[in-house]
Amino acid sequence: MIKFENVTKIFPGDFIALEDIDLFIDKGEFISIVGQSGAGKSTLLKLIYAEEQPTTGKVYFEERPLDGIKRRHLPYYRRNIGTVFQDFKLLPQRTIFENVAYALEVAGETNAEISEKVPKILDIVGLGDKMEKFPKQLSGGEQQRVSLARALIHRPKVIIADEPTGNLDPISTWELIKLLLKINDFGTTILLATHNKNIVDRIGKRVVALDKGKVIRDHKKGKYVI
Amino acid sequence: MKLLKLWRTFKEGFKNFYRNGWLSVATAVILTLSLYIVGIFAIVGVASNVLLKNIQGVANISVYFNPEVSEAKIMEIKSNLESFREINSAEYVSKEQAMQELLSMEDIQDAISRAVEEVGNDALPASLIITAKQSDQYEIISQAIRGSYGGEIEKIEDNKKIIDEINGITKLSERAGLILGIIFLLIAVLITFNTIRITMYSHRQEFEIMRLVGASNLYVRMPFVFEGIFYGLFTAITATLFLFATVKFVFPVLIRESASQSAKVFFEQVNSFYFQYVWLVFGILLLFGMIMGVISGFIAIRRYLKV
Repeated sequence: MIKFENVTKIFPGDFIALEDIDLFIDKGEFISIVGQSGAGKSTLLKLIYAEEQPTTGKVYFEERPLDGIKRRHLPYYRRNIGTVFQDFKLLPQRTIFENVAYALEVAGETNAEISEKVPKILDIVGLGDKMEKFPKQLSGGEQQRVSLARALIHRPKVIIADEPTGNLDPISTWELIKLLLKINDFGTTILLATHNKNIVDRIGKRVVALDKGKVIRDHKKGKYVI
Repeated sequence: MKLLKLWRTFKEGFKNFYRNGWLSVATAVILTLSLYIVGIFAIVGVASNVLLKNIQGVANISVYFNPEVSEAKIMEIKSNLESFREINSAEYVSKEQAMQELLSMEDIQDAISRAVEEVGNDALPASLIITAKQSDQYEIISQAIRGSYGGEIEKIEDNKKIIDEINGITKLSERAGLILGIIFLLIAVLITFNTIRITMYSHRQEFEIMRLVGASNLYVRMPFVFEGIFYGLFTAITATLFLFATVKFVFPVLIRESASQSAKVFFEQVNSFYFQYVWLVFGILLLFGMIMGVISGFIAIRRYLKV
């Protein structure tokens, strides 16, 4: 479903973020990407949602090379991918409902569709009763679940989670991971970048380890080893 | 669907506008002032142009004849003068007509009619009122008339002095207005641009989110364009109100206090001009404000959209 072909990414100042990456991600996989800070995890993920372009090599999404997508078509491409980040990236001036609804608004869905879909998805992440609250009024774990709800609302084929548990306590962390696993069960591909050894070991699925921009390990039922 | 998105971005822009609170108010005030000054100069400039055209129309010289010169002789001189290339028209005003005109001046009517009873009906001289084709030819014409008909003429009067004075004021105000107008216009554009940039700076994290959830660049951009339009709308209304107040309350004072006749005429002209075209002025300010908003919205956001 996602394929990296000899991908190298060099940032200005000759900083090599990724070197010669070949990676194949199948539909429905749950992949933990591990590695130290600066190992290239975020860059790898950014290449998938086309926030960055590879310096050399190609990235494919469902057989389609990403460098062939025109800039103005990028927003439509991104609706295939849901993203979750360490800092939640919620709009502070909007309620939880509005935050999730925003992803549908930009896609031009009608108000009727929005008011039907948003409560449903918020129920799934367990926040159906907090729709009218603002992000500030929620705990970190709850905010991250809002963020996940927003990522899910387009029914994306892939969820990209970049250090989603970095700001969460152990209980919230495990709740979020359980949600991700549940979503994965429904067939959505999940890419989780993390350096939380504990959760990677508990997930017990494919682990890709990065170090200094290179894939140093790729195990089907891996553990967190660097 | 397009309309739905447009409506959403419109609402978004409106929210940005009022949620910014003091920033919006401060910007709107400065913008209003700029537009106001631009507006003042525009009105004065246009009005003085109109005024100048009118004045050039009413400029004339009056040639007063000695009482013993017969009407026939004056008519002969009239047709003679009319054949001059420089002269546009020559109008005969008989003694009776002159008296009639004097009597029709309302505010001094009583005094005059009493005076007329004393001196008789033909106390005023007959005259020819001559207009030239071009306003700078009056000097030559009056010299020529003096040369040819010196014997029959009592005196030649022209209103050129007032005309020259008004001419001067008009030219000066036009030039000053143009320069200051351009300067303030520039300031206004920069302020709008800057404010929208500041707003965008405070929204910069949101842009990232918007793009991540799949908002097209246009969708991200439209609220700011609308915000610019709101600034334009808001400031056009306030600036027009201020202009209205100025013309309504300040100009009458200026008219009353003006020392010279020509300044008085000038302010009166500006005043009546404004009230005649108040909607046009508003429309221009509105259009200008909105165009400015749209352009600055479009330019300022480029930085954040990675386009």
